[in-house]
Amino acid sequence: MIGGTFPASAAITSQMRDATGATAGELADSDLMQRTAAGDREAFATLYHRHHAMVYRFARLMTGSDSAAEDIVQEVFLVVMRDASRYDPARSALSSYLYGVARHHTRRRLARDRQFVGFESAAADVAEPIADGDVTATLERRQTLLQLRRAIVSLPRRYREVIVLCDLQDVSYSDASTVLGCAIGTVRSRLHRARHLLTRKMGRAAGSEEDHPRLTERCA
Amino acid sequence: MTPMPWHDTDLADALDALRRDDAHVETPPHVEAAVLAAWDRAHAPHVDTRAGQVWRRMGAIAASVIVAAGLGQLGRELQRTTQASAELARSSGTVLLVGEPILRGEPVRVVRMRVPASTLIAMGVRSATDGEHVDVDVIVGEDGIARAIRVGM
Repeated sequence: MIGGTFPASAAITSQMRDATGATAGELADSDLMQRTAAGDREAFATLYHRHHAMVYRFARLMTGSDSAAEDIVQEVFLVVMRDASRYDPARSALSSYLYGVARHHTRRRLARDRQFVGFESAAADVAEPIADGDVTATLERRQTLLQLRRAIVSLPRRYREVIVLCDLQDVSYSDASTVLGCAIGTVRSRLHRARHLLTRKMGRAAGSEEDHPRLTERCA
Repeated sequence: MTPMPWHDTDLADALDALRRDDAHVETPPHVEAAVLAAWDRAHAPHVDTRAGQVWRRMGAIAASVIVAAGLGQLGRELQRTTQASAELARSSGTVLLVGEPILRGEPVRVVRMRVPASTLIAMGVRSATDGEHVDVDVIVGEDGIARAIRVGM
């Protein structure tokens, strides 16, 4: 994924061709890791473009904080830069490797920072314009998503991880078990439990939202 | 607070909506700038100017001269100390072994005696003092037999 944010590096990348004529953008992740280990800056930049969003979303959902997610992305790619030669494609896909590194740094971050920024600011950043006839539905949808984010962040970490990986990042059970270092059955059972907890939390949140308008009406 | 009956399908729909909502979330541009800046710092070529080389060589030469001078001074000091020790040893006295060697751990006694200087001369020992009599230490073993005589203490 070479977005339009960094056209200069993307242009350079498109010009970099290896002996087979493949550009850095066309190479497999394992080849890019090899080139990164050899000091190829464009290979490293291509890896970043391919995987930064995945790491960022994972970290953001896990911590509930934009700034923490940004720090984690930096830390993950610094690890890639430093330890690219240690990556063994036979053991796991690069995405699983990156999720594993991101998970490690997320855990460290969570242990270090006990308080996190809420999702209000993040929700405001991504808010789309509201169509005239759809105000209520859009606001309800936003409110539901905000509650869901809060509910996910409030889950115990082992349940949060499976929800984020399997339900929100579309990681397979097999890859999730690699990332989490547990059996597939454990992933399934944790996911079942996590969904149950989330359903209960969302039910409680919806109940409190039902109470809130009545109070507002009385005040008005 | 009244719990609402949320179902699995509600959760699945909400998760699906959240996934779609997050699909367009991107890492802010400054993060990539920071990551690539870190790469550039880590892989920056080591710049070595001609002036730097000259200064480094001059520094190495100066350090060599200082070390050589220091070693020379140390050698002279050691030589002086060794000579002084030898002279002190020459004037401090002589130990004559006159019997069986002293065994390790063997209990001995030291008996100070005054003997004629001529006796020592007959034994081939010249005392540092010029008197007629000389004080010597006789080291006597457990069996009462002298093991050694220390002269000129």
